Amino acid sequence: MVERLTTGRRVFVAVNYALLLFMSLLCLLPLIHVLSVSFSSSEAATAGLVKLWPVEFTASSYQFVLAKPAFLTSVGVTLQRVAIGVTVNMLLTILVAYPLSKEVTKFPYRTVYVWVFVITILFHGGLIPQYMIVKYTGIMDTIWALVLPSVVPVFNVVLLLNFFRGLPKELEEAAFIDGAGHWTTLWRVIVPLSAPALATITLFATVGHWNSWFDGLIFMNSPEHYPLQSYLQTVVINRDLSLVSSSDMKSLMEVSDRTAKAAQIFLGALPILLVYPFLQRFFMKGIVLGSVKE
Amino acid sequence: MIKKLKSPYWPLHLMLLPGLLLVVIYSYGPLFGIIMAFQKFKPAKGFFDSPWAGFDNFQYVLDMPDSARILWNTVIIALFKIVAGFIVPIIVALLLNEVRKDVFKRGIQTMIYLPHFLSWIILGGILIDILSPSSGIVNQLLAWVGIEPIYFLGDNRWFRQVLVMSDVWKEFGFNTIVYLAALTSINPSLYEAAIVDGAGRWKQTWYVTLPGMMPIIVLTLTLSLGNVLNAGFDQVFNLYSPQVYETGDIIDTFVYRIGLIDAQYGVATAVGLFKSVVSFAFISISYYLAYRLANYRIF
Amino acid sequence: MKTASRRAWLTALLIMAIVFVSACSGGAGNGGEGATDPEPAAETNENAEETASTDSGTGEEPAAAGPLGKYDPPVEVTSVRIVNDTFKYAEGEDIDNNIWSRTIMDKLGIDIQYDWVVSGDGPGGQGEQKMNVSIASGDLPEIIPVSARQLKQLVEGDLLMDLTDIYEQYASPFTKEIMNQDGPNALASATFDGKLMAIPNTGSAMDGAFMVWVRTDWLKKLNLPEPQTMDDVLKISEAFTTQDPDGNGKADTIGLSLNKDLYGGYAGIDGFLNGFHAYPRQWVKDSSGKLVFGSIQPEMKVALAKLQELNKKGQIDREFGVKDQGKAAESAAAGKAGLHFGQMWNPLWPLVDNKRNDPNAEWQAYPLVSVDDKPAQSRVNLAVGTYYAVLKEAKHPEALLKIINLFVETGWGESTTPENYAEHFTKDGFEKHKYTPFQTWPARKNLDIHLHISEAMDSGDESKLNPEEQNNYAQIKDFLEGKAGSEIGWAYNRVFGKEGSFKTIDKYVDEGLILQNEFFGAPTDTMVEKDATLLKMELEVFSKIILGDPIDHFDKFVEDWKKLGGDDITEEVNEWYASK
Repeated sequence: MVERLTTGRRVFVAVNYALLLFMSLLCLLPLIHVLSVSFSSSEAATAGLVKLWPVEFTASSYQFVLAKPAFLTSVGVTLQRVAIGVTVNMLLTILVAYPLSKEVTKFPYRTVYVWVFVITILFHGGLIPQYMIVKYTGIMDTIWALVLPSVVPVFNVVLLLNFFRGLPKELEEAAFIDGAGHWTTLWRVIVPLSAPALATITLFATVGHWNSWFDGLIFMNSPEHYPLQSYLQTVVINRDLSLVSSSDMKSLMEVSDRTAKAAQIFLGALPILLVYPFLQRFFMKGIVLGSVKE
Repeated sequence: MIKKLKSPYWPLHLMLLPGLLLVVIYSYGPLFGIIMAFQKFKPAKGFFDSPWAGFDNFQYVLDMPDSARILWNTVIIALFKIVAGFIVPIIVALLLNEVRKDVFKRGIQTMIYLPHFLSWIILGGILIDILSPSSGIVNQLLAWVGIEPIYFLGDNRWFRQVLVMSDVWKEFGFNTIVYLAALTSINPSLYEAAIVDGAGRWKQTWYVTLPGMMPIIVLTLTLSLGNVLNAGFDQVFNLYSPQVYETGDIIDTFVYRIGLIDAQYGVATAVGLFKSVVSFAFISISYYLAYRLANYRIF
Repeated sequence: MKTASRRAWLTALLIMAIVFVSACSGGAGNGGEGATDPEPAAETNENAEETASTDSGTGEEPAAAGPLGKYDPPVEVTSVRIVNDTFKYAEGEDIDNNIWSRTIMDKLGIDIQYDWVVSGDGPGGQGEQKMNVSIASGDLPEIIPVSARQLKQLVEGDLLMDLTDIYEQYASPFTKEIMNQDGPNALASATFDGKLMAIPNTGSAMDGAFMVWVRTDWLKKLNLPEPQTMDDVLKISEAFTTQDPDGNGKADTIGLSLNKDLYGGYAGIDGFLNGFHAYPRQWVKDSSGKLVFGSIQPEMKVALAKLQELNKKGQIDREFGVKDQGKAAESAAAGKAGLHFGQMWNPLWPLVDNKRNDPNAEWQAYPLVSVDDKPAQSRVNLAVGTYYAVLKEAKHPEALLKIINLFVETGWGESTTPENYAEHFTKDGFEKHKYTPFQTWPARKNLDIHLHISEAMDSGDESKLNPEEQNNYAQIKDFLEGKAGSEIGWAYNRVFGKEGSFKTIDKYVDEGLILQNEFFGAPTDTMVEKDATLLKMELEVFSKIILGDPIDHFDKFVEDWKKLGGDDITEEVNEWYASK
């Protein structure tokens, strides 16, 4: 491809770069703020003096957070959850998306199935019945209580089935002519061609598991089993200051602990922030369609 | 045994089976809780002994002095969020698509997705600072061009705009990802053909890129219509205050209040059911329209 | 190809099977994930119940006699715990294994099993939600820590044991004394139809009294008198706004700090309103002896008009309406605010950060000031956060009282020693008392700390101080001796020291200036239905009046309040009052 750079094109490219740069700076600001607070002294943070640069630089809040056993334990739980949860999510998403990506003529039942799944995005029974189901299926307080209730991420299924539909039909047909069944076609033809889509939904599934916190608080029976975000939720939420009891005077001092909270937020987000750049190589253009050898 | 299953569809049914079973147990199982919407649910009595209430819970909500205001706020905020939150990521994806320098492209992608990972508690504190009429940077910039300070978070004329814009700011980067993925799946030969036909960058975007993204665009728009009654609880809760209840109070903050103060499960479930039915209607209609008008199944 | 695809299908089925087996067996098979402690609580529950029932089957042994008698053989009692992030443990200890679990076992022969432990104890927080789902799904332990609302639900569901006789028989005299130290309301609030249905964890209502906090270094600088009357306070507010108390040449200081929720222990309007004899969200007795709601009384209107005036004059942070207490506190910590109404703990947070940023900053608490010659009274809520209820089926309801007896005896009883106290309360910097599942606190505890420390400061004799007091005193001395980084000692001095905030509370107590909310029952039926609406309406109307809405909106509010359920609530509250 030869690019002819007209003047208009040059101007567009310059404006485009400037605009994108401006947007990304806007997006970077909050994280820089959190980072600055985490490296500042606590009195400066409580006084709201920290903006985009640390005030009275100190790394003590990181020492404090990393020395906390509860923080590290919860990171362990989250890693376990992400590993199991994302694997199962992905497996089921692919298995569900493939049949549903078929045309009605090829698989008449697909539309019924699709709605069975889509309805679960819209209708919920609420917390209490969900708690009871989790309890009766015996997975309360296990890692499965965080995995199974949302085991088929329907949004991802719908996304993936749309990607599957966008693939050239010829390849699939060629595979069938070669005598391959659905199973073989799915894993040998469809999946290898869908790297960008799979990377996307892997990212979504990972982020989903990483960020969810409420299920951890409700389905886990002790704080040692909390995943990271559930743990952070119990730490970062401000204490209700109208109800200071006489047994709780000392904990008041921790309200000032904005720097430690900021450090925990940053450390809690860091691993997941690093996932995307890693997955980005799957988003590069020009996946060569002919690369699949059957 | 296997011979009996020789229907051409059985491998497909079988593939669906594990996911279906789990969904039936864990998503359909809890749906029995919807009966709470028609009960005066008493936690200590449970589902079987709580007294029936017919449609009282729905009536209760309708009789609330602010129910019309709350519904209107919810719809207006949600709609603007849907529209803005839908358009901006597509534009950004297209702009990124024009960037040739890989390092730059990746860097931008990574940076714009950062705010998604910060909670509204944190972002709320930051927004109060930068939007402050006395010391916030936004108002300082406005003063620079001669505009009087605006009390963004305390002024009913501005509060909804702040909600919509800050929501777009937080989520556009993350929502761009799905379109970037859609871009990669466009067959490169289509571009080559377009270039051979003498199409410039504009025409390529218009005739190749956008149509290639269309299925995903339609899909995300349809699914986002399901959010027409979700105005974003966390955000509103962390940013609103009594002076902007008038424009900022939404269904979810209302449910939160009756839940927190009074644990009225029946009412909360009734509201939830109402939201689900409305979302369901919107999604069904758009699904049906796409099918009838374009003979296209969104999902 | 055929065999290949069949093998593939087998693999798929196998994966399914694995997912299901491990899912359904839950942790029973350990899940194989190498989790540290994957024993599922659901299973533990069942086991616990079984054990409990076999226990009773083996013989009807009489409960160990006396308030502190020991069970032999030991018995098991189930409960649940709501903790928070300030629970800290020594190496190798946790909520199930700590000094209190061991002492309770050694001295009382009681083994407490927690069905679940959840972190997050705020109102409406995770703890409350987890308890709500437990109640709704019938998943309850023998002894249940609940909120007032949950207690009412359980009583209505007829799930609880009547504890009247058990309390009489097993509560030690000292426990009974503490239960009544804050007045009879604590026990009364747990009494339904004359039956005691739960044991309240009493706190201290007096600790919640409101007072005026002022930056006294600014007073001196501007030559202002200490606040004695409402007029003084208003003058201070004006001077702090206009006379540049921080001396930076800019008009950037706030007269009176407020927060967006209007009420609260820091920068609320409660104390200000009390000075006008207005008592928001409190039930007070009117001249005819009926209970009326404080927020709709005419005194409110006068006070709100005054706040509006302050706001018009620019003495209130223009942006207070969007700032919660934490955000509002930034101004004080940054040295931009020097006057607010608050509670006794304010020096510990956030004022200590002001001291750290500016060593010259000095804060002092003063009694509430009155707008006329009637002294201002602070009105406080019942200080019971938690009630301990007992399921009807419980085998050993008296275990609850035994543990409470042991707790108060260890803390403040005649038989305890400083070593014993330290061991169970404060040793090694851990707040060990938090481990105890069932507690109740002497209402005067903090006030006594102040009195004892003041005495020791005068006499120099520290020997009479209990360990908690010694610990506080040591920090105060560090500060008075000028040790670096001892600002927290400053804060303790401002709370417990001779001129601390408890001096004000002591005065209140002596002069009978603390009044309790007259209504302390569980929420009435109409409250349950209408409170959310009414409270929100109040907040909205009051905020807007302060920010400039016509003051007559108050009259409309009163009307609306009555119409939208307030009259029904008033009636119910008075019925409750008459039946009390």
